[in-house]
Parts: sequence; C-alpha cells; structure tokens
Amino acid sequence: MSLSWSRVFTIARREYLTTIRRKAFLFTVIGLPLFYTVLMVIMIKPQISEAIRTLRTFRSLGVVDSSGLLANAPRDIRTETDAGENPFGNASPAATQVFHAEVKFYPDQVAAEKALRASEVNQVLVVPADYLQTGKLRRYATTTNIFSSASERPVTRWLVRALLDGREDSLRIERVARPARGLDLYALNNKGEFELHDDRREMFDFLIPFAMGMLLGLSIVIGGQYLLQGVAEEKESRILESLMCTVTPDELLAGKLIGLGSAGLTMVGAWVLIGSTAAAPGALLANVHIAPRLIALAVGYFLLGYLFYGSIMTGIGAITNNMREAQQFSFMFTIMNFIPFYLMTTILGRPDSGLAVGLSMFPPMAPVAMMLRLAAPTGSVPIWQIVLSMGLLAGAGWLAIFVAGRIFRLGLLMHGKTPNLPEILRWVREA
Amino acid sequence: MLVVRDCVKRYGGRAAVNKVSFEVQPGETFALLGPNGAGKTTLIRMITDILRPDEGTIHLDGRPVGAATRQDIAYLPEERGLYRRVRTLDALAYYGELKGLRPKAARDRAMALLERVGLAEWALKQVQTLSKGMQQKVQICTTLIGEPRLLILDEPFSGLDPLNVQLLEDILRERRAAGATVLLSTHQMNKVEEQCDRALMLNRGHMVLYGPVRQLKRQFADHSLSLRADHVPDGIPGVRRAERVNGDFTLALEPGADPQAVLRALLERGVEIESFNVASLPLEDIFIKVVREGLGLDQGRSGPPTVDEPLPAEVGR
Repeated sequence: MSLSWSRVFTIARREYLTTIRRKAFLFTVIGLPLFYTVLMVIMIKPQISEAIRTLRTFRSLGVVDSSGLLANAPRDIRTETDAGENPFGNASPAATQVFHAEVKFYPDQVAAEKALRASEVNQVLVVPADYLQTGKLRRYATTTNIFSSASERPVTRWLVRALLDGREDSLRIERVARPARGLDLYALNNKGEFELHDDRREMFDFLIPFAMGMLLGLSIVIGGQYLLQGVAEEKESRILESLMCTVTPDELLAGKLIGLGSAGLTMVGAWVLIGSTAAAPGALLANVHIAPRLIALAVGYFLLGYLFYGSIMTGIGAITNNMREAQQFSFMFTIMNFIPFYLMTTILGRPDSGLAVGLSMFPPMAPVAMMLRLAAPTGSVPIWQIVLSMGLLAGAGWLAIFVAGRIFRLGLLMHGKTPNLPEILRWVREA
Repeated sequence: MLVVRDCVKRYGGRAAVNKVSFEVQPGETFALLGPNGAGKTTLIRMITDILRPDEGTIHLDGRPVGAATRQDIAYLPEERGLYRRVRTLDALAYYGELKGLRPKAARDRAMALLERVGLAEWALKQVQTLSKGMQQKVQICTTLIGEPRLLILDEPFSGLDPLNVQLLEDILRERRAAGATVLLSTHQMNKVEEQCDRALMLNRGHMVLYGPVRQLKRQFADHSLSLRADHVPDGIPGVRRAERVNGDFTLALEPGADPQAVLRALLERGVEIESFNVASLPLEDIFIKVVREGLGLDQGRSGPPTVDEPLPAEVGR
C-alpha cells in the first residue's frame, strides 16, 4: 500500500475544515452542554425547591392525642435544613435555613378534620391510644404529592422531642433527634493515609469516570458518525468516482479518518474546556486531581477506539446507498460502544470483577469500560490488563481497517442493491 | 500514448471486458462506443486505475497506469457529482490540490478555469446554488485543473445547451493542441463524427469495431444515400428510412439494396433531384447494425471485424 501523504493531508484538511465550519458543528458544541445544563436545572431544581417549599408552607400541625403521651409536648416545631441542601435557593447554599410550625391540639378527630378542611391547620396527626405498643400513627392532609415526605421530617423530629421531653436534658434530646448529623467519614487515600471524606469529592469521584467514559464514547461515536455521513453523502452524490481517478481508496480512507477524527476531537476538546471551566471552582474546593496518566490513556483509547469504530462506519457508509440506510446499520455498533454505561454500577463498584475485566478486554466495549475502570476511585488496573486490552483493540482496529479498506475499494463504486453478507465477504476476498 | 493490451476483467466468471487491445495517440480524440453494459465503464475504470485488469496491461506514455500516472489522467464519469455545500472555487481548487498543485496555485488555476467557462461571478457562491448546466461546467473544470495528458470524458455534452457544447468543443480543441489526448465515451454519434479521429466499439465486453471514424463509415457506406431533392415520397423500394438534415435527405438503405435502383424509383415517382451521392452511413446506424446483428462477436473472440490497417501516422500530429 503506497500512500501519497500530501494527498492524504489535503483530504484530511478539507474534511476537517468543512466539518467544523458547518453550523451543525457549532450548534452541537454549544448546544449539547447547554441542553444538559438546562435539563438538569429543569429536573433537579423543582425537586429541591419543592421540598423547601413544603417546609416553608408547613405552618401548623393539628394533633389528636389519644395516648396521652404528648400532653407536655412543645407547641412549636423547629426544622433546620442542612448546609448545601438547597443549592438553588436565593440564600447562600452554605447557609442553614430554619422553619417554624405551630402545633394545635384537638380533643377528637372530628374537630381536627373540621379545622383541616377550614385550612386552620396544614396537616393533622392522630396518635392512637396504643401508639407506644404498635407505633402506628395516622397523618391527614388535604393534598398529597410525590414530595409529601418532605413534611414528614418536622413531624418526626417533633415526636422525638415530645416523647423524651422531661426525661432527658434538651441537649441530649437534640442529639437523639438527629444522632448522625455531624458524622464525618475518614477513608484511605491513594497515599495510604486516612483522609476526611468530602461529599463533593464523592460526587467528583463518580462524575470524573462518568465524564471521561462518556466523552471517550461520544468522541468515538461522533468521529464515526462524521465518517459515516461523509462517505454516505459522497456515495449518494456520486462524487467518488471522479475523485478515485486521482486518489486511491486507501488515501481517501486515511484522509477521512484523520480529518474527521480531528473534528471529533475538536468537539470533545471544546466540551472539556466548557465543562472544566464550569466545574473548576467545585473541583478545586474538593481537591480533585485527574492523573496525567489517565488523560494519556484516554487519548490512546480514543485513537484505537476511533480507528476501530471509524473503520466500521466507513465500511457501512461504503456498502449502503444513502444516509438513512447507513444510520440503521450503524446503530447497533453505536449502542455496543455505550453498553458499559448500563453496567456502570458494577464496573465502578467492583472494577476488578470478572465482568469489568471482561468488558475492558472486548474491543467494541474496551475504550469505555477501561476508562470507567481506570477512573473509578477504588480501582487499580494492572498494567498487563491495560496492555492486553489495548493490544486486542489495536488488533481489532487493524482488522477493521483492513476489511473496511477492501469494502471501501469496491463498495464506493457500487450503486443499487445493498450487498448481503456473502457478497461483502466476497468483496473482502476479491478486492 | 495510451496502449491497452489484451485487457480482461471478469465479474463472477463473466468477462465484462474480454481481450481488449487498442492504442490512442497523443493529441487524438478517440471515441469509446458501445451499448449500455458493453464494458465501457469497466474499461475506463481500468485505465484510470480504479480497477485492476485480471489480465493484460495498460500503459500511458510507456509507464504502467497506477500511482505514477495518476496525475496525468483525469476522468469525468457519467454518474458525477460535486460537493454541494462548499463554494464553487473551493470545490474546484480541492481537485487541483489533489492533482498536486499548491493551494495558492490551485485557487489561481481554478479561478482562471471558472473565467474560461463564464462562471467567474459564481466562484464564491455555494455549488448547490448553481444550475445543473453550470455544475456540469464546473465538473468539466475539475478534470481540466490538473492539466492532464489523458482526458477521459463520459457523456460530457449531456445537460449542456448548444452554446456550452460549442464552448466545451473549443476547450477540448485547445487541450488537444497542447498535446492532451481525449478519450470520449458518448452515445451522441453526431459528436463522434464531428470530433473524433478514431473509434473503438465494444459489445458484450468484446471489441467489435476499431479504426478511423471516416473509414468505418466508408465501410458501411453502401447502405446509405445522400440526396438533395424537393421531397422523398414514402414507399421507395429498398429505402428503410429517410431523414431530412438541413434541406438534404439521408436515405438509409436496406441491406443489399441497389443505390441505382433507388435513384430510378425516385425519378419515376417524379422527384426533382439536384444532387445524388452514395453517402457514408450515419455512425448511429452503424452502431445499431453492429449491436443488433452481433457483428464481431463470432467465436467469442474479440477483435475488430474488418478494419485492421495500421494507425494513420498523421493522426493528431
């Protein structure tokens, strides 16, 4: 195979420039992170705000006490939110918010229900006579929603205080109400020292492998999709035959792989830049550090994974007649790349398990699976496994590019019926 | 000089091109003819090194076609397209760069070509905004930008109006004068008669005609008459078809018909005749005859049926 590198470079440059100059490219670079940010805000903010709102609007509790246990209970419920519980609140997220609710006693349930219907109280708590024996309680409210449990917290704490009132000193009662509020966890760090476990750190411990795996998977798929689109478009618009008198299929394939892979990398690079700028303050606070080795391996896995998937996509582009057909064929390969995410809990939880090791050796899933294992906070992947995994992926990539090159050579000039498997195998043999 | 020797290409046991040999001289316009599926495209793909022959050799200027000759050959396929969402100048310059020009030189030459074909003002517009005819001219420019020694054009006139046909003929004439060889594959037989020095005709992968166009026409001439007359009535014995071209009639005769008998019959029917020639048969009729009667396909052997004299030395010089 003799390649003219100047032609390969010319092709790569054209593919790269025409791709990144498209409006769709810019739209994806900015649009996708924006979309996910908006989605997160839309999904999580109401959830948290709703809980806070429930606490805020919970102004009074009607109580019907048939047990006589709560006769001396405080007439005020005080609820505190923890620091950072409401990141979307107007107040600083670090601040503790305090909510108060009034307690009103009613002689019987009929009176209490009447008060509830008249909106004199927000909820009614009925304490049966055998509460101490059975633990059974009834709560009445005019409406329910999926966040109803938010109002359970003040009721529970008030009950603890009411039951213990007079038997213990107030400080002890406070502790019993929330015994593990100030529980700090110390865990071994990678220097072998016990270190205070930071919740934010925990979030990053999860986010970093997830983000690295996702970016790696996405960049491979995006690069592959560009290839698929490029080849299918060129085939559909019959550009290839006049090109192929000037360039060899191998040069065209190499130029496309380089140019469109670079376009995929550019997109991921832009996302990393946007993401790290946005997450930098939090990451600095949590003392997050991504090892250069991890980044180097991510680049290595990208190159090999892209070669593997890109070749397959090129082959698919070459045998199909139009974009729609090409997309249908490529779908299952794209899914395969992302399968490790469905098994993420296992891979991150037990990175040395048979499943995790197996997936990271299987070329179609190796890049994402290995990235998850490498970035998992508890993981230490033996060197031999990395070498073997990369070796297998490189072998599969070489095979894919060899087969794709042959399919490409013949498929580019074929129009009409999409070939079946025996025909494709014949092409590979004959090309 | 392009030299094709005993080329064979098989697909699944069937020979798409079977023992084809011919030569094309520098500066010559050579026609490649044949019905659909005759093997023309396969032959062209072998000359352009898109496909490799199973047997035989192809040389351009003494070198086997391949990496070494890639810059010297340009090909305008029948099924053709352009990148649509790029500027016309960029689309054209890209072909120039692939032909080995530096980016600046490629753009300069692309601009000069667009000026030559009257599309300079469209240089910075996207290809998809061009009309079909304009795109066709840009496609022709993509084959010219590398200044190839061998220009292979498959149906280059389709989609062009008469003015643009004239323009393309002028451009091809200039290229030939500069030493380029033109290999023209077309079904427009009048263009072959006007433009081409020699022709090769394929049928079912075999060579069935090969030689100077004038000589091929003379060979089949006894079947045609050229007539200047006031009219030609229907039903003249021996006349298969009468066609009026610019006031003259061309009468295609049935096989074995005697031109003298036709003349007598015309006079008897009261036709006033100004001039009468035993004309050469239109190439189109030769084409139809050769394909319909399967001439040259005897014994499955390939080769020109009759015309086998040496190449005229003056061709293209």
